[in-house]
Amino acid sequence: MKRYVKQWCLVACCLAADCLAGLPALADTPPYQVAEGNKVDPHTLTGWRTWRAMACERCHGAAQEGMVGPSLVDSLKVLTKEQFKATVLQGRVDKGMPNFDGSKMVTENIDYLYAYLKGRSDGAIQPGRLQEMGK
Amino acid sequence: MSLILRLMRCWPCLLLAAAPALAADSDVEKLTKDPKNWAMQSGDLANNRYSELKQITSKNAKNLQVAWTFSTGVLRGHEGGPLVIGDTLYIHSPFPNKVFALSLEDQSIRWKYEPKQDPTVIPVMCCDTVNRGVAYANGKIFLQQADTTLVALDAKTGAELWKVKVGDPKLGETTTNTPHVFKDKVLTGISGGEFGVRGRITAHDMNTGKVLWKAYSTGPDNELLVDPQTTMTWTDGKMAPIGADSSLKTWKGDQWKLGGGTTWGWYSYDPATNLVYYGTGNPSTWNPRQRPGDNKWSMTIFARDLDTGKAKWVYQMTPHDEWDYDGVNEMILADIKVKGTPRKALVHFDRNGFGYTLDRVTGELLVAEKFDPKVNWATHVDMKTGRPQVVDKYSTDKNGPDTNSKGICPSALGTKDQQPASYNRKTGLFYVPTNHVCMDYEPFQVEYTAGQPYVGSTLSMYAAPDSHGGLGNFIAWDAGTGKIVWSKPEKFSVWSGALSTAGDVVFYGTLEGYLKAVDLQGKELWKFKTPSGIIGNVHTWEYKGKQYVGVLSGIGGWAGIGLAAGLTKGTEGLGAVGGYKDLAKYTELGGVLTVFALPDR
Repeated sequence: MKRYVKQWCLVACCLAADCLAGLPALADTPPYQVAEGNKVDPHTLTGWRTWRAMACERCHGAAQEGMVGPSLVDSLKVLTKEQFKATVLQGRVDKGMPNFDGSKMVTENIDYLYAYLKGRSDGAIQPGRLQEMGK
Repeated sequence: MSLILRLMRCWPCLLLAAAPALAADSDVEKLTKDPKNWAMQSGDLANNRYSELKQITSKNAKNLQVAWTFSTGVLRGHEGGPLVIGDTLYIHSPFPNKVFALSLEDQSIRWKYEPKQDPTVIPVMCCDTVNRGVAYANGKIFLQQADTTLVALDAKTGAELWKVKVGDPKLGETTTNTPHVFKDKVLTGISGGEFGVRGRITAHDMNTGKVLWKAYSTGPDNELLVDPQTTMTWTDGKMAPIGADSSLKTWKGDQWKLGGGTTWGWYSYDPATNLVYYGTGNPSTWNPRQRPGDNKWSMTIFARDLDTGKAKWVYQMTPHDEWDYDGVNEMILADIKVKGTPRKALVHFDRNGFGYTLDRVTGELLVAEKFDPKVNWATHVDMKTGRPQVVDKYSTDKNGPDTNSKGICPSALGTKDQQPASYNRKTGLFYVPTNHVCMDYEPFQVEYTAGQPYVGSTLSMYAAPDSHGGLGNFIAWDAGTGKIVWSKPEKFSVWSGALSTAGDVVFYGTLEGYLKAVDLQGKELWKFKTPSGIIGNVHTWEYKGKQYVGVLSGIGGWAGIGLAAGLTKGTEGLGAVGGYKDLAKYTELGGVLTVFALPDR
């Protein structure tokens, strides 16, 4: 029973978050698709563009390995998706992380930004420029 | 109360009311004329960074040794340097912008000031939390804090006298420049060209902080403080009026409101012309396609009347910037022979790689030549129009968004960034710390959100190819002919302000942390490894008959930010970090002032 509840929760959470963002429904399926390290699905590509437009590399480094801000390669191994979203949108102002809830690009694409960074953290997506799969 | 008593009581008010008209000049100009002091960040009003002191010479510099040291207790990048007035040395730190007054007698701390600032200013500081030092005049120390507060302190006690805010960090506005005291006014600027800030400078009453005038870099004529008929610029080989709406006509729609043209450099002032000279930074964004037109007056040298702020002349070095070649670098005033004719010149080493010589009285363009032979984005500056002739291949606008334009020299760091050069009044030459770095530049579309980065380009930087492999040079420059006299290769960018002296020694620091003394031919005489990489400027003074040389070390700034921020893992040449990752082999963080002198006999 306990196990069943847990699974149900996973599916529900997934439905609430990932599925609405049009990402695969299975919990253990990564939120991104990637081939050859630098060809990704359109949503993940949007996530990378959001990263680039917000100049996140100025603090977190061009390869997300950290500079003034922490390494996101490490952070995304620990943070849940909800924690990630809260951090980006509300910021950690006392630590120097600004709140990005005022940016339309970030609020609209936060799931894709997560997908991109998760892919970087998993080592599946290479640092630097990306292109769309099949194009 | 009797009428007489009332009148008597009113006397002081009447006096106060009359004060602005009678405002006395500050003592700073006089202080700079005594070489025992180092009373302004650049040593004098003309930004010369030259000292008449000659106890330390090219013959004995090899004997220099450490006299004393002082830790600021702050990590991150330490730019600027100490001021010395009489028996007191004033030194500052990066954010949180501490100020110390030190006794030269025993190096004890006379007072310490640490402002309370909102730490949210840190993420909006573009290129590390640097500060380029304090200013002094009439018993006051002026500090321009990171959060845009300009504060006056009692130089004797460190007590706050007045404070005024010149910007809003919530809009991405921050400040890193030194305040500049000219005559009876304090001038300051603004940073935030990467956040869509609209650049301006403000002149303040030295005694109250009150804004006396404010002049924008972009926008309508009345806010630029220009006169369409009498503000002049170089046009078809002569000076001509700029005409109406000179800025508005060169922007699409309202883009000028986010236009950049920030003002964080080193200003100078000529008492003879009563003109103040400074440069403006990049237009926002870094994606040139989003802002068609010349984007005036970003990337421009302004000459303004100190009393009214009105611009007498302007010269735009990089119309429609496509590479982030800010025009803020120091304006050096020098009376030199230009192509054989004596001139009251202004010399400026621009980020775009051209060394400019102009007539500082009229604004005429006299010389514009490359001060690094690797500069390739333009073939030359057309001397008739004053415009650089851009090479198509390196035009990030022609190549367009989402195309990576490769092999552009110099990089966005410029052939020189803010690290100021020295003009040697004895040799008539300029000693210039430079970068030798090229880049790939890929612009992309961005949207503006107040207070959030508004950059729009991905960069990767590396040492200039097919050269000596290093990232910098220290050069001697003849501004009368526009020629490099000698060039000394350096492993890293020379990001430290130079000093030259009547003792025929030239000093500069390196990113590895060496303070170096070279002779007038560029031959190395001496070096000393300070505790951290040097991005501070070298200053000199005399106390009790002895000449001292002091420099702040503390790696950071744009070139050192990777290290300043704890990055040691290298990634393939992305941003400034790639080319500079080797720095970690040489140095670590930490702000220290190191002071040198010759040994007692």
